[in-house]
Amino acid sequence: MNKTKKAKQLIACQQCDALYDTPMLKQGQSAKCTRCGSMLTERKVDSIERSFFWSLAGIILSVPAILLPIMGVTLVGQYHHASLLDCILALIDRGFIMIATLVFLFTLAIPVVRLLGAFYITYSFKFNRLKPSLLYFFRAHHYLDNWAMLNVFMLGIVVSMYKLLDDTELSVNMGLLAFILWLICSTMASSALDQDYIWQELENEFVD
Amino acid sequence: MLIKTAQESGLARCPKCHKLNGMNQNSGNNAQVQCMRCQGLFYPRKPHSLQYTLAWNIAALIAFIPANLYPIMILYSMGIGDPNTILSGIGEFIDHGLYPIAVIIFAASIIVPLIKIIGLFLLVYRVHTGVRLRPDKHSKFYHVLEFLGPWSMLDVFVVALLVAVVELGFVTSVSAGPAINYFTLTVIFTMIAANSFDPRLLWDKKQGIENIKEKN
Repeated sequence: MNKTKKAKQLIACQQCDALYDTPMLKQGQSAKCTRCGSMLTERKVDSIERSFFWSLAGIILSVPAILLPIMGVTLVGQYHHASLLDCILALIDRGFIMIATLVFLFTLAIPVVRLLGAFYITYSFKFNRLKPSLLYFFRAHHYLDNWAMLNVFMLGIVVSMYKLLDDTELSVNMGLLAFILWLICSTMASSALDQDYIWQELENEFVD
Repeated sequence: MLIKTAQESGLARCPKCHKLNGMNQNSGNNAQVQCMRCQGLFYPRKPHSLQYTLAWNIAALIAFIPANLYPIMILYSMGIGDPNTILSGIGEFIDHGLYPIAVIIFAASIIVPLIKIIGLFLLVYRVHTGVRLRPDKHSKFYHVLEFLGPWSMLDVFVVALLVAVVELGFVTSVSAGPAINYFTLTVIFTMIAANSFDPRLLWDKKQGIENIKEKN
């Protein structure tokens, strides 16, 4: 098993496949590839604690962020407002099933599932309830990495507010605040999650 | 060169858990490896990366044509519909003097998809032929393309919001147009295209060219 031992001390760059010895990092340090300059590995500060509480806050905030109306318009005495969920329902109503599905996935389902996943993983670490199934769970968690688009939706809210301000009376509701906080929580939760550390711990526990 | 790649050492990096695994020496890049840490199956390099990137890219380019020709949003006021394509919507913003929004929408829905499509074509071409290949520059460029991907969804989200919010019956309402389907497909296709490209091929090709030069 010489090869296994060798592979344990080495690390390869994601972008250019250059091979390095695994650097010994303190919390808060990171290592960069000397050939292409991309991040090799990073040791994040208080990863489990931070990620646990950010994702907990995010899960709680997701309920008002999805259900409360984000903004409303008033025109000739009529008032109408809509929440994130209303956007999806309105699209289904108009027959744009594909768009409704994608908006549902990118701005609702995937962010929520990612938060729940991060919460479950950090919960297991925090209270020392590690199971072998976490290896599969965390691998599945990585499939969703690129597909959460809360930040893009936030810019969408700003743009449509600008557009509506032009010719209607716009009112902002509590949903917008909840959505902004939700966006912050989910960004912080995923950026605080130290993947290399979690994989290393899971490996020490369950592999070999 | 001082730097040795994992591939030369007979190692392959798991794309999910980043673990280095020993790969099957005889079959090289095309053999599937099972990661000993997360048990996931993977290839040392994304298989048929260039072909997949090219195919998704062409699909994105095709979908981009109807996305710009059909109306993306129809604004009804007093029962009269006013269809807007992506470009005419931007024109309307300019008419109303909303320049920052016009710039953002123009960047997100025209510039970004086009840059992604052209950029990926260029990367595939460079990797395939190896002409003027600068792996350091090109991999940074690829990073930018990957980062920009989701931001093209901006227009879709704006339309989705407007459809839901502006719903005042006969007075005024907004409906989405057929272009929104094609536009979303363009965005999804370019994202998958960028995902199927393997930036390590840039370095492999460069290394291959240098090795041939050294031999001569």
